[in-house]
Amino acid sequence: MQSPFEPKILAFLCNWCSYAGADLAGVSRLQYPPNIRVMRVMCSGTVSPHHVIHAFQRGADGVLVAGCHIGDCHYIKGNYMTLKRMTFVQELIRFAGYNPERFRLEWISSAEGVKFAEVARDFTEKVRSLGPAPPFEASPRLAMGI
Amino acid sequence: MKTKVRQLLEDGRVDAFLAYKTIHGVPYPALFTRENVDELEPWAPFKARYPVTKILLAQARQNPEKTYGVLVRGCEERSLNELFKWNQLARDKVVVLGHACTEDLALYCECPKPYPDQLDYGEAPAPVSKSRRLEELEAMPENDRLQWWLSHFNRCIRCHGCRDVCPVCFCTECSLEHKELIPAQKLPPDTSFHLVRAVHMAGRCIDCGLCEEICPAGIPLRALYKRVNHLVENIFQYKTGVADGKSPFTMLGDESFLPAGPR
Ligand code: SF4
Ligand code: SF4
Ligand code: FES
Repeated sequence: MQSPFEPKILAFLCNWCSYAGADLAGVSRLQYPPNIRVMRVMCSGTVSPHHVIHAFQRGADGVLVAGCHIGDCHYIKGNYMTLKRMTFVQELIRFAGYNPERFRLEWISSAEGVKFAEVARDFTEKVRSLGPAPPFEASPRLAMGI
Repeated sequence: MKTKVRQLLEDGRVDAFLAYKTIHGVPYPALFTRENVDELEPWAPFKARYPVTKILLAQARQNPEKTYGVLVRGCEERSLNELFKWNQLARDKVVVLGHACTEDLALYCECPKPYPDQLDYGEAPAPVSKSRRLEELEAMPENDRLQWWLSHFNRCIRCHGCRDVCPVCFCTECSLEHKELIPAQKLPPDTSFHLVRAVHMAGRCIDCGLCEEICPAGIPLRALYKRVNHLVENIFQYKTGVADGKSPFTMLGDESFLPAGPR
């Protein structure tokens, strides 16, 4: 029997707010799906569009970027860049032919363990309903016998 | 044109002037100084296009103390504007003479502004604002679009021609050669090769179309960068290639560019 589809989701969480929020969700023993693989970054502003594209390229079914609320970034305005870049990258993904709902940007503070768990649940269900991400890769010419 | 350029050279306003020289019936970019200004031909419209501002940038980097004059088309003037804004060229080190493109060239290029603001030679033809390919693409269902792009990206031979010809690709270190980001020695390269370039062209590409023209694989690159800059315009109300303003991706903490969205 084929096992049901379990989406792979990569989450970039900023060290000061969102990672701490995820931590709080953990110590509060809130239930959320294990599909989210967390990558801790110092600030959400350090997440480059390249990283998001790279994640899809390497088989992520969904990508989440989370940082401090606007105004709360520990590098003061780091997440301004996050907002600008990620708004843009979501539209770029759409134009490349990828469902933009596979990408999500959220603001989660260190006190919002509950919000983190909710986002994790909600996003996992969303991506699950979208099914496995289509390959984002041009097939090698050699395989085509040319 | 000869009189004007000679004047500029003799007054010491410029050290050299970048224009064209006909060789075997084809105009080639050439640098004119006081020594060879007599070889400068009278201006006449022509169709050959080159990344002249890129040639200018290379010259200016070698001789930062010199002032250059340059003859530009509409697209080339836009690329100059970007090079100024991205601090690659100093405004006071460049003197511009502008010429208009012919109407058939403008149609062939689907050029949104086939003449420079500084118009010295020729008459401005009507701009072409539509891109047929972009319209087709936008009408396509998502998954077809993905397959469409992949079928084109598939042919890329990774020659870097698109980057090398681009007048606004000025970095000395290039992400496209970053081995961890885009694995080297893979053919065709990862899709990220093209999307990373697209990201970098946001707020920079001035829609000259040289990349698409030079691509040996005939990949419709321009549609990608055109779209990317429509996005920049729609999200940030920033227009690439105009004389003032700064790309929303240059300023870390500027609030005026924050798009609407959840906070
Ligand atoms: S159209 Fe191509 S070559 Fe011209 S500025 Fe844009 S990316 Fe560069
Ligand atoms: S010019 Fe065309 S084939 Fe060469 S690297 Fe660019 S996209 Fe690939
Ligand atoms: S430190 Fe959290 S977004 Fe910058």
